[in-house]
Amino acid sequence: MFRIARSREGERITHYDLYKVDLSRGMTALDALFQIQDNMDESLSFRYSCRGAVCGSCAMLIDKVPRLACRTQVASIKDSKVDMREPFAAITDFPHGWDSEKEILIEPLPNLPILKDLVVDMTAFYNALETMKLWAEPPGDEEPRLQSPEERKRIDRYVNCIMCANCYGSCPINEREKEYVGPAALAKSYRFYEDSRVDERDHFLDAAKAPNGAPLCELIMNCVRVCPKGVAPGGAIRKMKNL
Amino acid sequence: MHSHDILVVGAGLSGMRAAIEVVKEADVAVLSKVHPLRSHSVAAQGGINASLSDQDSWKAHAFDTVKGSDYLADQDVVEVMAKEAPRAVIENEQWGTAFSRTEDGKIAQRPFGGAMFPRTCYAADRTGHNLLHTTYEQALRLGVTFYHEWFLTSLVQSEGKTCGVTAMDIATGEIHGIKAKAVVLATGGFGRVYGYSTNALINTGDGAAVALRAGVPLKDMEFVQFHPTTLYPSGILITEGARGEGGHLLNTRGERFMAEYAPKQMELAPRDIVARAIQTEIDQGRGFEDSYVHLDLTHLGREKIMERLPGIREISMFFADLDPIDTPIPVRSGQHYSMGGIHCDKDGKTPLSGLYALGETACMSVHGANRLGGNSLLETLVFGRLVGQKVREYVSKDPDVNSCGVEQAAFEMRERLQEILLRESGESPAEIRAQLGEIMDNEVGVFRNQETLESALKAIRFLKERFGNIALARSDTKFNFSLVRALELENTLDLAEVITMTALMRRESRGAHWRTDYPERDDESFLKHSLVTLIDDYLKTEYVDVKLGMFEVKERKY
Repeated sequence: MFRIARSREGERITHYDLYKVDLSRGMTALDALFQIQDNMDESLSFRYSCRGAVCGSCAMLIDKVPRLACRTQVASIKDSKVDMREPFAAITDFPHGWDSEKEILIEPLPNLPILKDLVVDMTAFYNALETMKLWAEPPGDEEPRLQSPEERKRIDRYVNCIMCANCYGSCPINEREKEYVGPAALAKSYRFYEDSRVDERDHFLDAAKAPNGAPLCELIMNCVRVCPKGVAPGGAIRKMKNL
Repeated sequence: MHSHDILVVGAGLSGMRAAIEVVKEADVAVLSKVHPLRSHSVAAQGGINASLSDQDSWKAHAFDTVKGSDYLADQDVVEVMAKEAPRAVIENEQWGTAFSRTEDGKIAQRPFGGAMFPRTCYAADRTGHNLLHTTYEQALRLGVTFYHEWFLTSLVQSEGKTCGVTAMDIATGEIHGIKAKAVVLATGGFGRVYGYSTNALINTGDGAAVALRAGVPLKDMEFVQFHPTTLYPSGILITEGARGEGGHLLNTRGERFMAEYAPKQMELAPRDIVARAIQTEIDQGRGFEDSYVHLDLTHLGREKIMERLPGIREISMFFADLDPIDTPIPVRSGQHYSMGGIHCDKDGKTPLSGLYALGETACMSVHGANRLGGNSLLETLVFGRLVGQKVREYVSKDPDVNSCGVEQAAFEMRERLQEILLRESGESPAEIRAQLGEIMDNEVGVFRNQETLESALKAIRFLKERFGNIALARSDTKFNFSLVRALELENTLDLAEVITMTALMRRESRGAHWRTDYPERDDESFLKHSLVTLIDDYLKTEYVDVKLGMFEVKERKY
C-alpha cells in the first residue's frame, strides 16, 4: 500500500490517499506513482523525466527520507532507513493512521512551497545559482586549458551534483531560515573555488560565506546522508567555513 | 500576449546553445516542458567527438561519420560538423566543463564505435550531465529568458510564414499564444514512440509532431537507432564507453560473439551492427533467459571502472543490484536515438519560412542511416551555435508577423482541450500507450519485414482512431500531467505512423534499418532521403537526393 500526500491547491498537505499498487520485480517508487496515475487516479501530480537518477526531477520524501523516486526500489524501502539528525516537523510528524510497517509514505520534498501534490516550487533553490553567480567567466582563449587528473579529481565529487534538492529538503536550517541558500548551492560554490582553471576563485568563497550561506550551516550533515550522488555538500561547507 | 523575436522550444543542449548565440542581439526566450537541467541531454554518457589530436583530422572524423551513416548522411553537413567539432569542445571547456584529463593535463579521448581514432572527449561517463549543467550556467550568466514547464501544443503560421506557437503553462493549465518572428524547434528525440527505450520519459517528439501537423516534412524517420547495450530489464543506457574502455560482449557459451559479426572492430563496430549481433545471438538461443547477453567489465579492474565508468557502476548497483567490478552486466539492445526528424538543411532552415530545427529533432542529415556514438552531443553544440546565427540573420530582416492568428490559435486549442477534458467516458490513454510501445518494440524493431510492418501500420492507425475517443478522469487544471501525457501520446502516435510507413517503403537494408526480406543495401533505388508531408489528412511520401561529393559510396565493412 502507498499512502500519498495530496494538495490540490498547494501550500499545505490537505489529506493522504491510499492506493493498492501491484508490485513487480525491480519496481521503483516512480513506477508505482505512474501505475497510480495511469490506472487509479489521474489527478495525482509529480515530476519526472529521465527515470535513471541523473536528471534530478523526482526528489520527494519517501518514508520520511528525501530520495529520488526513480532510484528507490519499492522492495527495499522498508530496509533502508536513513537516520537524520536534528529532524524537523516534516520529518518527525507522522500522518494520522500511517501503518509504518505496511504502508509506503510518499510526501513532497520539505522546505519548498507545495504547488500541487508532490510538486514543489523550486524557485528559491534555483535562484541561488543566479544570486551567487555560480558560473565560470570564460577566458575566451582558443585553446583548452590544462588541468591535471589530480586537479580534476578535487572537483569531481561536486561536479556530480544533479541539483535534485534532496539536500535542501533534508536540512533543518533550510526549514528554519528561509533565506539560507542551502547545501547544493554551497557545494557548487566550492566546485568553482576548487577548480584549478578558475581565475577569480575568491568570488565563489565570498558568495558562499555571505550571511545567508555557509555561516548559517551547523554541520548537521543530513545533506551528506541523503545525497544520491555522493556529493557530500556538508564536507565542502566545512572546508569553506575554515578558510 | 507573449511576444519574442525568437522562440526556442526545448532547453537541452541544442536549444540553450542556440539561445546563447542570439541573446545579446535579439529578444529570445526558451520554452521547455521541464526545467532545463532535467532535459534529456543530461543523460548522455560516453562523450563528444572532436579531432583534437595532431594525428587525427576533421576529414578522418568526417569519413568515419559518413561511412557509419551507411552513406546516407549529407556530406556537406558532415563537413561542417567535423570541422567545427574542436571549436565546440574547446568552447565548453572554457565555459567550465570538467572533461576527464590525460596525465599531461589535456582533454582525454577514448575510442568509440565506428571511429578509427580515439576522438571521443568525455567527462567520466557523465559527459552530457557536465555539458548541460555548464551550458545552463552560461545561459544564466547571459540572462537567457526561460518559460519553465510550458508544453508546446501547436505551431502557428500565416501565409507560409511562422508566426509563433501555442503552449500550455503546466503550472496553471492555461493555454497561451506566443508570437515570434522565428521559432527554433529543439525538442529532442522521440524514443518514447517505443516501449523499450533508453530515452527519458519526456522524449515524445513534440516538436517533430507539431511540425508534421503544420505541414512541414519529416525526413528519414525509418532510421531509428537501437543501442546495443541497455540494462536489462529497465532499458537504462550502458554507455558505449564501457566497450571503449575494453568491455567484452559474451553469450551463454562465454564466447566473444562479435568475432562472428565484425572480426576487426569487434565490440567497437558501429551500433547498428552490434545491436543486430546481440539480437541474433538471443534469437538463436545463445542469450541468457532468452532475453539478454553479458557485458563483461570484470577484467578491467576496480580502479579503471571507478575512474572511467563510475556512473555505469552506480546504475548497475541501483537498477540491477549488481557490481560490475565482480559481475557481468545483463544487456540487450533498445531504442536509443532518432536519426530522422524535421527536414532541414545545414542552417537548420525548414521549408516553412521562419521555422528552424536543431539537434535530435532535426534531420539535416548529419547521421544518415546510423549515428556514431559521440556525434549527437557534438551536433547539439555545433549546430546550436550555427543555426542561432542564421536565425538571428532571419529576424534582423524583421519579418512581419503582425497579422498572424496566434490568439485565434490559442483560442482554438483551449476549445479542443476543453472538449477532451469534458468527455464523460472513452478510451484509456494508458492502454493505448502500452499497446503502441509493444507494437513498435515487436514489429518495428531491430529486424523488420513487410509482414510485421504492415501489421504494425494497421494497428497504429487503429490506435490513432481510438485516441480520438480518449477520456481523462476528473482532474485539476494545475499540473495536470495526465493531460500532458495524453497530448504526448498523440504526438508519439503520429510519429509512429510515419516511422512505420517509411520503414515499409524502404525495401533495402541500410544502417539501422534492417529488412530481413531485403537484406542488401540498394543504392540504385534507395540512396535517398525519405520525406513525409501531411497534406490535409493524407501523408504524402517522396524521396530526395543525398548530398554526396567528398567520399565515394562504398560497401560498408568493419
